[in-house]
Amino acid sequence: MRLELGKIFIKDVQFGEKTMVDKGVLYVNKQEIIDLAMQDDRIKSVNVELARPGESIRIAPVKDVIEPRVKVEGSGAIFPGMTNKVKTVGSGRTHALVGSTVLTCGKIVGFQEGVIDMSGPIAKYCPFSETYNVCLVIEPIDGIETHAYEAAARMAGLKAAEYVGKAGLDVEPDEVVVYETKPLLEQIKEYPDLPKIAYVHMLQSQGLLHDTYYYGVDAKQFIPTFMYPTEIMDGAITSGNCVAPCDKVTTFHHLNNPVIEDLYKRHGKDLNFVGVILTNENVYLADKERCSDMVGKLVEFLGIDGVLITEEGYGNPDTDLMMNCKKCTQAGAKVVLITDEFPGRDGKSQSVADATPEADAVASCGQGNLIEHFPAMDKVIGMLDYVETMIGGYKGCINPDGSFDAELQIIIASTIANGYNKLTARFY
Amino acid sequence: MDKLIITNNSLVYEKFNREIETVFLDKSSLYQLLECVRDLVYMGHSLYTHPLSGSIKPNETPYKSVVISKKKGVLDVESVAIIEKSMDAALRFMKNYPTPPWTENILKDFRTVDLSLIENAVDRMGNI
Repeated sequence: MRLELGKIFIKDVQFGEKTMVDKGVLYVNKQEIIDLAMQDDRIKSVNVELARPGESIRIAPVKDVIEPRVKVEGSGAIFPGMTNKVKTVGSGRTHALVGSTVLTCGKIVGFQEGVIDMSGPIAKYCPFSETYNVCLVIEPIDGIETHAYEAAARMAGLKAAEYVGKAGLDVEPDEVVVYETKPLLEQIKEYPDLPKIAYVHMLQSQGLLHDTYYYGVDAKQFIPTFMYPTEIMDGAITSGNCVAPCDKVTTFHHLNNPVIEDLYKRHGKDLNFVGVILTNENVYLADKERCSDMVGKLVEFLGIDGVLITEEGYGNPDTDLMMNCKKCTQAGAKVVLITDEFPGRDGKSQSVADATPEADAVASCGQGNLIEHFPAMDKVIGMLDYVETMIGGYKGCINPDGSFDAELQIIIASTIANGYNKLTARFY
Repeated sequence: MDKLIITNNSLVYEKFNREIETVFLDKSSLYQLLECVRDLVYMGHSLYTHPLSGSIKPNETPYKSVVISKKKGVLDVESVAIIEKSMDAALRFMKNYPTPPWTENILKDFRTVDLSLIENAVDRMGNI
């Protein structure tokens, strides 16, 4: 598959009469976005607000973040199986409004944290303090069941992102990057002397608020499979994960997967990036054994020399991570894990919930137990009662001035276990 | 049926106890529940589900449900390793930042999510 990704750089966002991009400014029609989201009768009200880098704004609780994109040429459309029909994507040409996002806020569950600070000392921990964000605050109808609210908010975000993405359809991109993966035998013939590297991409799939979708199918319903890396750039994978904000892989992070990006940069130079093995994360232990066995089998069958493995979440998924590590190693591949850590406040405890002797090469995405001070912000975008539910769920957890102390783990994607962040661990 | 559910979540007890033997540890903390599961594993039960199911951190949610084998056998060393590591991880989080005194609305949400996680797992287990 060969995909041309046209990057349209966004340097501001404003409300306007017409949703369009002009000289790098994204204009969005607020009412049209509201009307689009309100087509779902599970939603009681939608408000749309803008948040720009440097503004004294806190957004919470964040459900998903999505980069607006549009398919210009090629098979299928953005978010296949979700907002568009199922059709294999990943080839042709796609435009992305880089530097902008559509994000959804909704108190799907009371404890759902997920903070983005657009300025101040916490801003550095989240990439969305540097993007121009179109924020949808979604309130459900009274008495709605949690599954239904989650689905409604998820679809509203994807529809809004698709709608905004269409503003880039006829805009000449500022930069075009070409990504290409050929069928395996062709690619091996092209680079016979380069090590064959695959990316094992583990998708969160444990249940309510812990789900990810591949062409609209819940990831717990499939067994490990092979994906062309460019499919992810057209939204073949979307997020339904609303928990564990620090290592949450938002739909934005799927579209902009940094492991895929960096492997492509080195493809044909010192490695042969053959593609992605997609797998899931399971609660039932037999499913863990089954899926990790299949991942190992694919690695062996495809003759893979080395794999990078990423996961989403903490705790139970660490066991899937270690099983995948062990079985890929036994299949003959060198393995590097990329993961975040929770070693306690002093950084001295075992930092992942499981381990295996084969896990001897790890790139750390930093740790989520560090306590930070969150200063008060002038404005909050989100649910009005977020303050009490966000980290404490009780009166008095916030200081009189509106500031509070909390672990890094409440910041969206602060320690995201695919490396799209600014934290790491080093020996010294 | 070779399933035994250990839970401190009333929703899980209400959902399953008619069809699957369910031990309801009402008022137990998450850590106390893990201790109970550990004791049962040492007595010869095997784990069917991971004790840290979900990705909500163990110092956030007070609820947990675990499916183990009803039958006892020889000591399952893999189950021992998993439960011991899970308890270490849970303790580490609680020492760092204790579980807050959540409001009833939030406790209800945690119960709902825990139920979903164990429901999906039980569904996957079929006729075991």
